[in-house]
Order: sequence, then structure tokens, then C-alpha cells
Amino acid sequence: MQQQTIALTKATLFKYTLVSLIFAAITLLTIILPAEYNIDPTGIGQTLGLTVFHNVKAEKTTTLTSEKVSEKVSGKVKWAIETIEIMVPALSGVEYKFTMPQYKKLSYEWSTNGTALYFDLHGEPEGDTTGYFESYAIATLKGMEGSFTTPFSGDHGWYWKNTSNSSVTVQLTVKGEFGKHSLK
Amino acid sequence: MPNSLQQYCLLSLTILLALGLPIEAFAHGVDDSTRTFLQQNTGIQIIPFLYIGAKHMVTGYDHLLFLVGVLFFLYRSRDVLLYVSMFTLGHSLTLLFGVISDIQVNAYLIDAIIGLSVIYKGFDNLGGFTQLLGKSPNAKLAVLIFGLFHGFGLATKLQEFQLPEEGLIVNLIAFNVGVELGQFTALAFILLVINFWRKHPSFIQFATSTNCLLMSTGFMLMGYQLTGYFMS
Repeated sequence: MQQQTIALTKATLFKYTLVSLIFAAITLLTIILPAEYNIDPTGIGQTLGLTVFHNVKAEKTTTLTSEKVSEKVSGKVKWAIETIEIMVPALSGVEYKFTMPQYKKLSYEWSTNGTALYFDLHGEPEGDTTGYFESYAIATLKGMEGSFTTPFSGDHGWYWKNTSNSSVTVQLTVKGEFGKHSLK
Repeated sequence: MPNSLQQYCLLSLTILLALGLPIEAFAHGVDDSTRTFLQQNTGIQIIPFLYIGAKHMVTGYDHLLFLVGVLFFLYRSRDVLLYVSMFTLGHSLTLLFGVISDIQVNAYLIDAIIGLSVIYKGFDNLGGFTQLLGKSPNAKLAVLIFGLFHGFGLATKLQEFQLPEEGLIVNLIAFNVGVELGQFTALAFILLVINFWRKHPSFIQFATSTNCLLMSTGFMLMGYQLTGYFMS
């Protein structure tokens, strides 16, 4: 059986447990929560520069060459036509999603400069955390034209996987009612 | 510890390095290429599922912390084997049962419970239960119960991918065997380090602070996962 070699008095045990709890709470509040969820009650996370993970998406979006800047207001949906260039690095995958309400149609057309990419066009329900998604199309192609109507409100878009040894740029044109859109 | 175990460690290390062990720990996450594979996979795929299972275990730091706690005061290889078998029995049962009967549990809650298991083990190692209750709760039973929860976590993660029915049972068993292989590998490393450390006086000196730290990490894991749960 287990050999117990630590024997503490009740007071010491209580003290140690309390210290562990306080240490955990401090680490959570100043480091983990700011970095993971952008919850920063003390402001220390911001000072340490740990909240940058949540600015990444915005930064990535600005590096995209967007021919027409859309209204990037959370929750606001506008009818628009947009052309977006998305770079898929060699041997990796990227996701590009559009925030859309239920029963909205999005027409699209995308193409690469010749390299076929594996893709999964799918939607994730708003507020879902189980990782559930519904696929609308899965294939490996150089490009595709079509449309989909959102079965639920949430983020809808593509997952592209580049298995080649050089980066591939996807030129995507969308037409429809959507709100925010960015790399995920 | 038997010498063969240490040989196994070295062998595992070589194999893992050869396979290009990913540096990052995912703690239950499934990375990009695995995700693509799971979505595209059809039919029986024993080796890939074996690998995903093993990788999941080796890179899951919350699970490894629990193992460190369990093994901390286990000196005899027979005990190690017994405890690990209890844990294996627990998570195998719920993994298979969970996927087959389509039971989904909230991943944040499961991970919070795994955090709780780390707290429990750290506190138990400190002699906390003996001090407060006069006796420590049945450690084997506790390991079995936490094993059950861990299996549900695995089942939930796998179901997110809506695995095709074709070859599901065989793939699941392969995944489970992979989990055991990964666990055994992780265990071998932990034992190697702990057994080495035990020979030094610093082991006893730092036993208290190590278990306090373990408990603290458990609190962090729990806080992190519960926040995730309430935010979602």
C-alpha cells in the first residue's frame, strides 16, 4: 500500500492548502485568465502583454488585402460583395469564417492559382462550445463556385488545408448578408 | 524499479523522437492535422487511431499531473501496476460506453473534474485526509472513479468529429490501446524521474512543497476550466 511520509499538523495543513489556493488564484487572475479568455480584472495581464492573443485575429485580418473594407461591427449584418485574399501557408490549414444569422444566403467563388486544396465548408452554431459543426461541402479542389443558406446562426466558412510545400493564396469573392469575418 | 522499465523508457524516447514528438501540449485538444484526418477517415484505421490515442495521453499535461500525484508515494512496481490498471479500467469503460451510446458531457466540466483529481491527490499526499478524517479515502477506488471521468472526456472529444460508423468499434479499440501505450510511456518517464529523485535527500525535503504545488496547479486547472464553462 501507499507509504505516507508527510505528516502535518492540522494548522500547517490548513496553512499550506490556503497558500496553494492563493497562489493558484493569483496565477489565474494575473496570467491564465487574461491570456486564455481575455478576462483581466487586475490589469496585470495587459501590462505583461498577455492579452495579445486576443488581438491576433484582428491583426491577421488587417494584413489581408481586402478590396472593400466591410463594416466590422459585431452583430451587425450588411449585404455586401467582397473579395478577400487568404494565404494558406505550406503544410498547414487555415479557417476563414463569416458571422451570419440564420437562413441567410451567401454566394461564393474561390480559386487558387492551380494548387488543389482540401477544404471543408461548414458552420458552427453561435455560442457552441462542444466543437460541433455542420459541413456543407468537403472536397479537394482548385476552386469552387456555389452558395449556401445558413441552417443556424453562427460562424460559417472554410477550412482549407494545404498539403503542398509552398504557400497557396486563395482568392475568395462572397456576396450576401454577413457581419464580421476573419481568420479563425 | 526493474531495469527493464528503464530500458523501456529509453526505447520509448527514441521512438517518440523518431516520430517527431510535438513540443506543445494540447491537454485534450485535437490539433489541425488530426482534425483533418478524423474528418476524412473512413473504415478501419488501426495505426492512426493508435497514434492519436497515444499522443493524446503523452501531451495531456493535466493527466500527467494526476499520474505524478498517484505515483509520488508508490514505491513498489506491483502497486504502480495495480493503480495504473484501475485507472485504465476506468477510462476504457467510459470511453467505449460513451462513444457507442453517444453520451456527451461538457468538456469544461470534465476537465474541471480532472483538475479536482489533481487537487485531491496533492492533498492526499500531504496526509490531508488522514489528518482530517482519520483515514485516507480508498485510493484505488478514487483512481478508478477519476479514470471513469477521464474516459468521458475522451469520448466527448472524439464524438465532436462525428466519426463514421464504419469500423468505429475497431477504431475505438485502437484509440484506447493507443491511450494505454501513451500512458505507459508517460508513466515510464515519470517513474524514471521520481525514482531517481527518491535516492536523494531532497525528495523528502521537497515532498511537501511539491505536493502543495501539485494542489495549486489543480486549483488553477479547475479555475481555468470552470471559467471556460461559465463563459460559454
